[in-house]
Amino acid sequence: MMVLVVGGSGSGKSSYAEEVAVSLAKESVGEIAMKKYYLATMQVFDEEGRDKVERHRNLRKGKGFFTIEQPTRISDALEKMGDGDSLALLECISNLTANEMFSEENAKTKMQVAENITQDIKMLKEQTNHLVVVSNNVFEDGNTYDETTTEYIHAMGMINQKLAALADQVVEVVAGIPVILKLPYRNSVLIKNRL
Amino acid sequence: MKLIIGGTAQGKLVYVLQKYGLQENMVWDGSLPNEINDIERKRNPIIINHLHQWIKNCMISGGCPEDEIMSFLDCNEDCILICDEVGNGIVPIDPFEREYRERVGRILVQLAKRADEVERIICGIGQKIK
Repeated sequence: MMVLVVGGSGSGKSSYAEEVAVSLAKESVGEIAMKKYYLATMQVFDEEGRDKVERHRNLRKGKGFFTIEQPTRISDALEKMGDGDSLALLECISNLTANEMFSEENAKTKMQVAENITQDIKMLKEQTNHLVVVSNNVFEDGNTYDETTTEYIHAMGMINQKLAALADQVVEVVAGIPVILKLPYRNSVLIKNRL
Repeated sequence: MKLIIGGTAQGKLVYVLQKYGLQENMVWDGSLPNEINDIERKRNPIIINHLHQWIKNCMISGGCPEDEIMSFLDCNEDCILICDEVGNGIVPIDPFEREYRERVGRILVQLAKRADEVERIICGIGQKIK
């Protein structure tokens, strides 16, 4: 099962995504058998970045995640995972996209970046039991930006659409409240039957 | 407490006034009433509009909006809070703006937990999410 979690800054999307990951791992094979991996994409440059990483580490504490730092080429994380049943929580697409677009030697176009990231995540989905992906809503501030930032916003938009198509479930987190945007077929049939 | 959120200019205040049959002169705009006298108490519920603006002003003046809003609610549980969602965009370069967006988001998460009802307004239409 793949779940895509989207939300804005401070929306509570991370803590919701962790809850989903923990409960998926529990449901399927019992907590001990399934390995949980946290794929961290953020590159730390300063104090603020360190604080952010620290806050997220505290959120995850005691939940049994094994952290893999993977700022680019996210499917390489698969090589660092052990055998057996696994769940991966990838946080987050906005950092991954920025890293792929701006920190590599040869800059890539938004199309290439969107395509690469989608292919990588497809691989992750195929080779894990469960995949939870966190992405950002960077689309609604109404500001006009320079060319580079505009490219980035469009790449993010493309990636979110592609990932939503790949995902079994898509959830937007608003003020900490999960709003369901896409349900697995099984569940949507159940809901339709009730209406 | 009822929490009303949404983007700028989505008709949040009009929605609230119509839904609850209230007048605009009952609205506290970007401020929390310090002392509420008996006359104002009778005009329940208290409506606070532009809560995000109050949060920003509170930060600028060195206050702690997280604590202040919670202690306000302890004394005034029956109120309607209206706030813009400001976190759905590109992370600003300016550190203060960045912190402001993050704090508005986290305050809304706390308020949503405490609220009896949360509605998100889009195109003037209320979507009840709690």
